[in-house]
Amino acid sequence: MANNFKSLKGKKFLSMLSARQERFENSKAELPKDGDNAMFLAKALHPKRQYLVIESVTDRGEDCKSFTLVPDAEKGTASLAYFSAGKYLTVFETIEGMPVTRAYSISSSPKESLEGKYVLTIKLVDGGLMSKYIFDNWTVGTKVEVSAPSGNFDYQPLRDAEKVICIAGGSGITPFLSMANAINDGDEDFELTLLYGSRNADCILFRDELADLEAKCSKIKVVHVLSDENTQLPDGAEKGFITAELIKKYAPESENYSVFLCGPQQMYEFVDKELEKLSLEKKYIRHEMFGEFHNPASQSDYPSDIPETVKITVTIQDKTYIVKGLSSDSVMQTLEKNGISVPARCRSGECGFCHSHLISGKVYVPKHLEYRRLADYKFGCIHPCCSFPLTDLEINVPVAK
Amino acid sequence: MKKYDVIVIGAGNGGLAAAATCAQAGLSTLLLERHNIPGGSASSFVRGRFEFEPSLHELAGAGSPEKDGQIEDMFIRMGGDVDWVAHDSTFRLIVPAKEGDKDAFVNENGILVTVDARMPVGFQNFARKLDEIVPGSYDSCMAAFDLSTRMFNAFECLNNPKKIPGCLKDVPDLMRMISHTMNEALDALGMPKKAQDIFNTYWCYMGSPGSKFDFLYYMAVLHSYVKNGTGVPLKRSHEMSLALDEVIRKAGGDIWYNSEVTKVIMENGKPAGVVINGEKEIYGKYFICNSSPNAVWNDLFDIKDVPEKQLKMLNARKTACTLTTVYLGMNKTKEELGITDYSVFIAPDSDSDKQYEAAQNFFSGYCIINCLNEIIPDCTPEGTSQLFLTTMTFGDVMKDIKPQDYKKFKTKVAKDMIETCEKALNISITPYIEEIEIALPPTFARYLNTPLGTPYGYMLEKWDSMIPRTVQYGKDQPFDNFYFCGASQERGDGYGCAYYTGEKAGGIVVKKIKEGK
Repeated sequence: MANNFKSLKGKKFLSMLSARQERFENSKAELPKDGDNAMFLAKALHPKRQYLVIESVTDRGEDCKSFTLVPDAEKGTASLAYFSAGKYLTVFETIEGMPVTRAYSISSSPKESLEGKYVLTIKLVDGGLMSKYIFDNWTVGTKVEVSAPSGNFDYQPLRDAEKVICIAGGSGITPFLSMANAINDGDEDFELTLLYGSRNADCILFRDELADLEAKCSKIKVVHVLSDENTQLPDGAEKGFITAELIKKYAPESENYSVFLCGPQQMYEFVDKELEKLSLEKKYIRHEMFGEFHNPASQSDYPSDIPETVKITVTIQDKTYIVKGLSSDSVMQTLEKNGISVPARCRSGECGFCHSHLISGKVYVPKHLEYRRLADYKFGCIHPCCSFPLTDLEINVPVAK
Repeated sequence: MKKYDVIVIGAGNGGLAAAATCAQAGLSTLLLERHNIPGGSASSFVRGRFEFEPSLHELAGAGSPEKDGQIEDMFIRMGGDVDWVAHDSTFRLIVPAKEGDKDAFVNENGILVTVDARMPVGFQNFARKLDEIVPGSYDSCMAAFDLSTRMFNAFECLNNPKKIPGCLKDVPDLMRMISHTMNEALDALGMPKKAQDIFNTYWCYMGSPGSKFDFLYYMAVLHSYVKNGTGVPLKRSHEMSLALDEVIRKAGGDIWYNSEVTKVIMENGKPAGVVINGEKEIYGKYFICNSSPNAVWNDLFDIKDVPEKQLKMLNARKTACTLTTVYLGMNKTKEELGITDYSVFIAPDSDSDKQYEAAQNFFSGYCIINCLNEIIPDCTPEGTSQLFLTTMTFGDVMKDIKPQDYKKFKTKVAKDMIETCEKALNISITPYIEEIEIALPPTFARYLNTPLGTPYGYMLEKWDSMIPRTVQYGKDQPFDNFYFCGASQERGDGYGCAYYTGEKAGGIVVKKIKEGK
């Protein structure tokens, strides 16, 4: 074919320039109306903060309470962010001048959030700063500030098997209760078999609610696993612990299945060993984080001869503070104990929200909490929530917001 | 109170380059970013045992022995510490056959296709391959690369006429390139239609189809990819962003993360400071803004302070394309999966205008699949690999979706995209997904705060393309101490384009301050 490029007109360009300015000139001088739905969804699903107020409190026994939270219109929250069952909210509190955050799984269903209701079910933890504060102070009418629903512990149909064995211990039942409700409401579609470990029948949280869901929905099966030696076994319950054999008993024989775990650290240690016997593919095992890590010296790779106290010099925007802390406390804990707010969400290393620059000094990070990016190592970035000082430190931390 | 020489709003690629330029020139510089890490789209995220690249496909010329990639040059110049990994192919385009297609054939994957073009690096290699697929296209292809070569020479010449004697004679051809669309120019060069479709494959990187953007702009992009191949940073683009973060700090600049500018303070009819997170006021002489003009005029200014022309510009322009991306951590290696290429473009139709029409809705059948292990074999743990799927849409394609429908919708789109790749490559992906993350336009809107969540700025149409925007840059800036940079500016989207606009804005501010203004 012939090359006719030289026949193209080049001078057109000059008229294009004036045409461009004219085109601007002839447009409306106003802000474009109506935002788009992409931005609407972004803001509706991920609000920076949600301002809530406690509508009711239910004592569930076993040092456990459910708090029903509704939007605080006065503070600007008109509706609640919808979520996928399994997500958590980070609660922001100030306790004796100390900013504190904790992540709690939402125990209510996604559908209820559309009706303006979240439920957080919280267990009083031995020596737990936040849970004690909540039990002492949260009552009907208390105003509470939380994050958008966060986390990655929700069902993903393209990754997870159609049948899921959910293993819960104690208050680790909360995300599974939300998932079971979501299945019953038609918002999730998978078969959920719950293996719920408790000491005895009296310790079971949400026993009636779970029985009710099981009765209503054929996709939900509930098996209580009770560990006390001399306990009375309710119908269908199992005695002992959640072993490989027990999982096998309730798992489908010839199909793939996923295992979701949520409970205390000791439960993970036990069940993870049991799961190894089942040789499941890694993709089929998912853990919810179990919260803040303590006592780094208990780890086999923790170095010796670490000073008990360290000095941390921290710069946040244009302010620099020098504080003293314990090497057994995470950098985040030390800063908070000194009244310094740090950006925090999951407090387990995973979300990376507290990403900070380590200017000088050394920290220890437990291996199982290593979720840093490759370049973070190269440029000295840390997640203060799971970094433990080994020396005096100099760090640069983003402002909490 | 301290008054900064320059306050940079937003640590996206443009903002990082701007702040680095200013800080290295000795200006007191404050870079403000609303997120907790730098980079905007140039970042990374971790899921399980995988670290994903959120946006980067490849960078032209990075890591090549010739070292004349524009981006790599900037990092070398600034002392930014990035390890590059070179890659010596461009793209593979597959157009699966539709019923009744006469020219369909079975490709190496055993799939019936009308186009399967795996295009190499080097102008001659590229032209030969094109000619092999569409006989009679060699001359027109080489003519196009000849034009782009002369175009780059002429650009250099405009800066330094002594460097390449006689190249100003090429200016008339340059004018032709600017004045005509891709399709018009390739027609004039006599390139067969089918060859044009392959030649046009990168159209989606511009965010508008071949009948809309000018020939010069596309050739600037294609030329730089084909000339020396491409490359990526070893540690995802988070490495590039942290490298610039380090450059800025070393030069004495301040960077504050989680520090969102919520208002611009006006004094005597021009910006004088900013309010951060609704509470803290900081003052500065100059401002460089990496945020989208839509967000800036909507959220940071009183309407009475917004120059009338800026509002008119918002209404005259169209938002460029939006992206949907699926990140997959696979529990199989790329060999086990049967992946053989880094970058495969799967198009339901080879014609870019038809693809553009189809992309007004979800899901158009258009999907790019990247496998980073092709370039960095050990970017995932042993026995695994990662895949990155991308499709694009135009307009408010999510307009009927409610928050409670979002998860199901998102899952469906991802499923469609994965199945499209499975079919087009005759491979199996779904059973091996260990980690998955899906980003739709609302995800991009959340992180980028742009209209429709576009990462691409405004559509680069012929009337508002790179050269007109560059020529009229001065006329388009809002105040004499406030400059925009990033994807909304002269060059549209792309890491190199954003860096360029940041360096340019930074350079202007440096010059003005040095002149005592």
